[in-house]
Amino acid sequence: MKNKNFDYKLLIAVILIASFGIVMIYSASSIWAEYKFHDAFKFVKAQAIFFLAGLGMLYFLSKIDYKIYEKKANLILLICFILLVLVLIPGIGSIRNGSRSWFGFGGFGIQPSEFAKLGLIIFVSKYLAGNQKLMQNIKKGVFPILLVIGVFFLLIMLEPDFGTAMVIVLTLVVMIFISGVKLSFFVKIGVLALIGIVALIIIAPYRMLRIVAFLNPWSDPLGSGYQIIQSLYAIGPGGLLGQGFLQSRQKQFYLPEPQTDFIFSIISEEFGFLGILIITSFFAFIFYRIIKISLKTNDLFGKYLSFGLGVGILIQALLNIAVVIGLLPVTGVTLPFFSYGGSSLLVSLASIGIILNISRK
Amino acid sequence: MFYNNIHTRIRYCFLICLICLTITIAKVFYIQVFQYNKLNTLAESLWSRKLPISADRGEIIDRNGNVLATNITTTSLVIIPSQVVNAEDTAKKLSEILNSDYKDMLAHVTKRTSIERVHPEGRRLDYETAEKIDALKLDGVYLVKESKRYYPHGDLLSHVLGYVGIDNQGLSGLELYYNEYLTGSDGSIKYFSDGKGHKLELAEIYEAPTSGITLQLTIDLDLQEAVENELDNAMQKYDADSAIALAMNPKTGEVLAMASRPDFDPNNYQNASTEVINRNLPIWMTFEPGSTFKIMTLASALEEKKINLFEGSFTDGGSINVDGATIHCWKHGGHGTQSYLEVVENSCNPGFVSIGLDLGTETLMNYIRTFGFGSKTGIDLNGEGTGILFKTEKMGLVETATTAFGQGVSVTPIQQVRAVSAAVNGGYLYTPFMVKNFLERETNSIIKRIEPNMEKQVISEETSKLVRFALENVVAKGSGHNAYIENYRIGGKTGTAQTVENGVYSASKYILSFIGFMPADDPEVVVYVAIQNAKNVVQYGGTVSAPIAKNIFRSAIDILDIAPSKETIPKEYTWLDTKYVLMPNVEGLSLEDAKAALKGFKVEYSGDGQTVVYQSPNKEMYVKEGGTVVLMLN
Repeated sequence: MKNKNFDYKLLIAVILIASFGIVMIYSASSIWAEYKFHDAFKFVKAQAIFFLAGLGMLYFLSKIDYKIYEKKANLILLICFILLVLVLIPGIGSIRNGSRSWFGFGGFGIQPSEFAKLGLIIFVSKYLAGNQKLMQNIKKGVFPILLVIGVFFLLIMLEPDFGTAMVIVLTLVVMIFISGVKLSFFVKIGVLALIGIVALIIIAPYRMLRIVAFLNPWSDPLGSGYQIIQSLYAIGPGGLLGQGFLQSRQKQFYLPEPQTDFIFSIISEEFGFLGILIITSFFAFIFYRIIKISLKTNDLFGKYLSFGLGVGILIQALLNIAVVIGLLPVTGVTLPFFSYGGSSLLVSLASIGIILNISRK
Repeated sequence: MFYNNIHTRIRYCFLICLICLTITIAKVFYIQVFQYNKLNTLAESLWSRKLPISADRGEIIDRNGNVLATNITTTSLVIIPSQVVNAEDTAKKLSEILNSDYKDMLAHVTKRTSIERVHPEGRRLDYETAEKIDALKLDGVYLVKESKRYYPHGDLLSHVLGYVGIDNQGLSGLELYYNEYLTGSDGSIKYFSDGKGHKLELAEIYEAPTSGITLQLTIDLDLQEAVENELDNAMQKYDADSAIALAMNPKTGEVLAMASRPDFDPNNYQNASTEVINRNLPIWMTFEPGSTFKIMTLASALEEKKINLFEGSFTDGGSINVDGATIHCWKHGGHGTQSYLEVVENSCNPGFVSIGLDLGTETLMNYIRTFGFGSKTGIDLNGEGTGILFKTEKMGLVETATTAFGQGVSVTPIQQVRAVSAAVNGGYLYTPFMVKNFLERETNSIIKRIEPNMEKQVISEETSKLVRFALENVVAKGSGHNAYIENYRIGGKTGTAQTVENGVYSASKYILSFIGFMPADDPEVVVYVAIQNAKNVVQYGGTVSAPIAKNIFRSAIDILDIAPSKETIPKEYTWLDTKYVLMPNVEGLSLEDAKAALKGFKVEYSGDGQTVVYQSPNKEMYVKEGGTVVLMLN
């Protein structure tokens, strides 16, 4: 029986967490939506459409043999590359929050960087599976793939979308790590990354402001520290059990766009530590199921692909939460399954679809 | 196995990710549990806005609970700009109702602040104006309760009470001295708003304001009213520059009445000059006391046993030579040979000079300082004067001589009242005070009681008794006779002092004073009266101030319920005075005998019979010569 290995637990966990995400989009966005568009359901309707489309895609992809991606990996990456270049061209790509990072289609927006994440994970999985031996050779095995990653990183940074670029690079580096590359190499990369971050800060000083705001948000409560203070004002008063569903005060025009990056703060405020414990447990459970699939499959490409997609989701979630609670400077990373944004939700659900297909084998 | 290496690293990754997740959860726990109080308080202050409710200022009441200063409730306009929907319209309507400038109002309405008070045109609105604004039901426009100070008795006790500014802060008098007690703590209506300042549909929290503490004064409103009336009459009659009156309980230091002219209405203090407002003459003004000061010299000499009231004599030839300077008696030609009691009765200057010189500079000045002159009394009011005394080491005989009869020293009325109180109450110097009790506003229960403060004993009980006797004689037989009231024992001393103008004594301007006490055997009240520059009258303390003091004593008899005495010193009459004679006791006598005993009185009867069972006026009281006596017969 083909479906004997199909991971229903993973599917159910994902559907539950994504449904809860839709509910929270409503709670977080309704006041802003009412104020801006006179339609409290504006954001939740859009997100619900993507959720349904995402579920369709999940179902569809879980039926499609994942091996096709290995064959079409180069083509997929090429399409991603073209989209990332196109989005930078004024008139084609639109600006949102200071970044030229999306295509507008009617009322909806598509973020090519989200799809590039998927494309790159597929490409790197194929590369690692096909060059298993070569990966022991830094020059011949690691550098070429790093070069490809570097090109995409630069493209995304041109938008600029630092948050997504960080998630992609971290995910791909972790994938390279599990391929068995020598540890000493990662130490060197770590040093290089540090130098790179410093360089990026020198190029765009607003990033320094974010770091200062991160270290002491109260140094500039109305400027760089504003978002993190507002976030803490949501999380703190949430306490152990929260203010109750729909009872957030910080979403009442205190926290800017509470349905996007800072939706975690609103969840903390309304459901308290107990709520946070439950949703982080869901993330941990989903990650655990994916790792299990990855360990179980006998196909090397499938192993890399499922691991990459899984770790990508977890890294993104960790980065988002770390930012919202003041552990990392504000970067602009969305919370998978929760934050408002069609592309992000679509890609997350699609990833789960692919992983489920791998679990069938 | 082939995948071993990869699987190991996948497991490591899984572990590291879980550790990272645990760290973030721990941080969330830290924020939500350990930082909960701090963040919740900060956030609460971000979410909540407060509409202030001003606290009622504590009342000021007299010793019997009559209200002297209270509050009336008014409303004030408050705008919350973020809630205003149409700024132009709101400003236009409000400026029309308040008759104020549209642009100013627009500035208030659009100001970038959480709560804007429209000051001053929006403060203390009358009822109609407030109603009009309320009827508009404008968003973001609020009327909050504000209380305004009100003094129901107007000018009465104005210098002592003081007044308050627009924000109810005490600016003078007791209002200033006890401002901290009188000021309550403001309350508020706390409501929650969103990030744009709009009011949220959450419960408002009412924090009740705490009223200030009520001050209960030592003042007796009835006596104060009597004193104020007397001063008004005196001002009208004599067209004086200023007038001062004080009444104090000599046994405790409680000030029963304190008044002066010119005065002001604390409800409209802006109408009076700052000089008038700021100078509480009974404690601020310093001037030469004149003859009232002789009480101090007398008390000192009696305590030092330098004189005996009944033995020994002093011959006054009209002047006395001191160290080459001639000091004249106020009576041309002098008083002749007198006992020392008569020296006091006559207020004979050469007599007191001789007593002062006999005491010696150091002893006299020591007593004067011990009686509290040259230093503040410590009364609980601001702006008290200190007065000036000669420096003992620089004093010659002339200075000693003049000091002995009250010239060349400068004192305040309150200092004199305190010192004389000590001289007649058995010798105990008390600190005068105005506030008797601090009361809780709602229940009037006593929070704190101020006990009389006896500073020291200045002279012995025995000496004090002699001083009382001498001063009672002054009123009965001497210069204070205008203060005499039949059937009551009053002691006192007059004073007539020249005022200093531009460094020299004025020939025409005097401060005419009288200080007295009643009953003379056991004083319950000391009264001081001073009139500055009285016109249309012979300027003697005995002619101007003593009658005023007498009227105050008359009121005090009823108010303080002072019983008549049968042991009064009979008054010595001049031909001008209506004579009073002792009413014989005729009760129990037959009608014939009674008629004989009542010779010189008009006798009326009521009832049938031959025996007197009741007589009115009562037996053994002083009644007008030739007055009517009603007898009840049986």
